[in-house]
Amino acid sequence: MREIIALARKDLKLLLRDKTGAFFVFFFPLIFAVFFGVIFSGGGGGTSAIPVALIDEDSTEASRAFAEILINSGELEILKTDRATAEDLVRRGKQTAFIVLPDCFGQRRENVFYGDAAIIEIGLDPSRKAEAAMLQGLLTGHYMKGFMTMFTDPTAARDQMQTGLDQIRELTGDDREQFVDLERFLVKLDTAFAELITAEKDSAAIDSMKTQSAETGWQPIKFAVSEVTLQRDGPKNSFEVSFPQALIWAMIGCAAAFGISLVVERTHGTLVRLRVMPIKLSQILAGKGLACFGAIVVVGTMLFVIFTIFFNVQAGSILFFIMALASSAICFVGIMMLLSVLGKTEASAGGIGWAALLIMAMLGGGMIPLFVMPSWIRGFSSISPVKWAVLALEGAVWRGFTLEMMLQHCGILVGIGVILFIIGARVFKSTAH
Amino acid sequence: MLKLDNVHKSFGKLVAVNGVSLEIKPGEVFGLLGPNGAGKTTTVNMAVGLLEPDQGTVSINSNLSPLEPATRRKIGVAPQALALYGELTGHENLTFYGKLQGLTGKKLNERVDWALDFVQLKDRQKDRVDTYSGGMQRRLNLAVAVLQDPQLLLLDEPTVGVDPQSRNAIFDNIESLRGKGRAILYTTHYMEEAQRLCDHVGIMDQGKLLALDTVDGLITSYGGKDIIIAELESGEVKIETNDPVAELEKLQKQGKLLRFRLERSNLENVFLSLTGRQLRD
Ligand SMILES: Nc1ncnc2c1ncn2[C@@H]1O[C@H](COP(=O)(O)OP(=O)(O)OP(=O)(O)O)[C@@H](O)[C@H]1O
Ligand SMILES: [Mg+2]
Repeated sequence: MREIIALARKDLKLLLRDKTGAFFVFFFPLIFAVFFGVIFSGGGGGTSAIPVALIDEDSTEASRAFAEILINSGELEILKTDRATAEDLVRRGKQTAFIVLPDCFGQRRENVFYGDAAIIEIGLDPSRKAEAAMLQGLLTGHYMKGFMTMFTDPTAARDQMQTGLDQIRELTGDDREQFVDLERFLVKLDTAFAELITAEKDSAAIDSMKTQSAETGWQPIKFAVSEVTLQRDGPKNSFEVSFPQALIWAMIGCAAAFGISLVVERTHGTLVRLRVMPIKLSQILAGKGLACFGAIVVVGTMLFVIFTIFFNVQAGSILFFIMALASSAICFVGIMMLLSVLGKTEASAGGIGWAALLIMAMLGGGMIPLFVMPSWIRGFSSISPVKWAVLALEGAVWRGFTLEMMLQHCGILVGIGVILFIIGARVFKSTAH
Repeated sequence: MLKLDNVHKSFGKLVAVNGVSLEIKPGEVFGLLGPNGAGKTTTVNMAVGLLEPDQGTVSINSNLSPLEPATRRKIGVAPQALALYGELTGHENLTFYGKLQGLTGKKLNERVDWALDFVQLKDRQKDRVDTYSGGMQRRLNLAVAVLQDPQLLLLDEPTVGVDPQSRNAIFDNIESLRGKGRAILYTTHYMEEAQRLCDHVGIMDQGKLLALDTVDGLITSYGGKDIIIAELESGEVKIETNDPVAELEKLQKQGKLLRFRLERSNLENVFLSLTGRQLRD
């Protein structure tokens, strides 16, 4: 085993020093996937607007006005729909969250400073903590903004508020106790209005209202958060389609690079030297296989991190993703072994190898996603190992595969890999003597 | 240490090695001398198990087959075709091959240093091999062979393109390995090398071992006579003789010997008389 690891490390070192190899193994797949991801995302790339579904159950003047504010804000990409559809969209990851304006919304909004605060219901996957916090902040802000527009005349509003304050101050005992927070808020708000009257600066006032509500503990609206567990059966964005393709290209790059490197070992005499070492030919081939496997896993992990962080790709299951990546890597190690016996020289092996890989990729959905292919090609594409790798990877990312389906696809990949490796190794051994 | 017994090897119709038998003992340098295509490399390849003989046997330490990986632990080979990774440094090449030979840790570092010294490449060890000159690559190729201090060394034209100074240093080092009891097979088509280095020499041509003896033995048996070119008062004479001393005494008695030159016979003449051809055309 030590010898196999030494062989593999040598090959990885050689790959790192070969700029063309490194390009095809890492940069090309990345560029490919980003390019197609951007093209199919309908221009603009990763827009910052959060896609949310909006359900207006209240249907009052006030709720419609609030919806209008959200739509015009540009911070949210609003889709108006009913609750069932919204939940479904969120579950499938098409929309990040849904927002419900419940039927008491308009009425409670009238309770500016007393009575029950308005409630907004939001629903999203429990893992999306960042989005939940951001959404609540945004909604609070817009709600406050709505407030401000209610008071077209800040001076009048100030008077009204003063009346409210006086009323609170007249209360005694427990009744008074109830309104301590509100009282403190109104006092500060009063200052804010005073500023507003002098500065006429709308947004500054909203900001100060927000901080004051936070400082005093008074909340103008309350959120009811319901959890909708993400259940993936469709890509959330175009990068979730192009990410598995990036992995396919990385694996193709690795298979080609290591397959050709085995031919180079033969033509450059180093294979002769390896064969006079006290190791078996099978160890030499195993070392090559391990190097190819290792390179795929490393590049695959790097791409995964990049696409997760920068392109909003979210694997439905990390475990399944690891399974898919590992079994695809095994499959491509087999392909690598077969490629190494296809040509006698570097040039012929490279030419035949890349041609074979490109056809495999084309048929298997490495270039054009499988789900946009006509069904007759899709049937035909089953002969390409690339298809199984794409399906397994998509299964882990957005197809929402069950464990059984995952095992089935991984099994096929490992099977193909082992068979191709054995065939390749046999041919290699027979031509070595 | 190494014994070939009547080995044959053909490639299709071409008979590359045709019934070669030879034995190399510990502490001996055996030279295989022959022109291009004689079958030297094919013989070496069979000795290390890269090729299986069609007929005949190869044995290491009297009963081990080089086809077994474990046996190859005892053998160091410098293949005729350079076998190095150009993208790695000299040091990295040696470390890598050392690991495959089972060396580790401190021992590995020691041996790598020693091998670099052996071929005088210490100052270039951190450079990539594809920046080496041809002779330097050839020397590194040899360093890999001696790396694990094997009992049997098979050196297939290890000094082609190496400058005289480095070559002399390498010869000295090979001689010290012989002193430590290593068995060495050395193939070459330079008769000077064989003459300087080898205890026994096999003359090979067209797959056959035509003669096998010590250098002196070969010259005595096949080298023909020494030649005296003498200048007398009467003019220049050229005399072939087996006993130059007696011949010179005779000349001196005959008349005044002004000058003379002695041309000792060599392996070139041995080859010529064995094959009717020059070693190098
Ligand atoms: N793999 C092979 N396939 C076919 N013919 C071969 C092969 N290897 C060697 N030969 C032939 O066998 C004969 C002997 O070759 P070999 O390489 O042993 O010669 P050599 O003595 O080492 O020559 P040189 O001094 O040029 O290295 C040659 O005619 C060569 O063409
Ligand atoms: Mg040769």
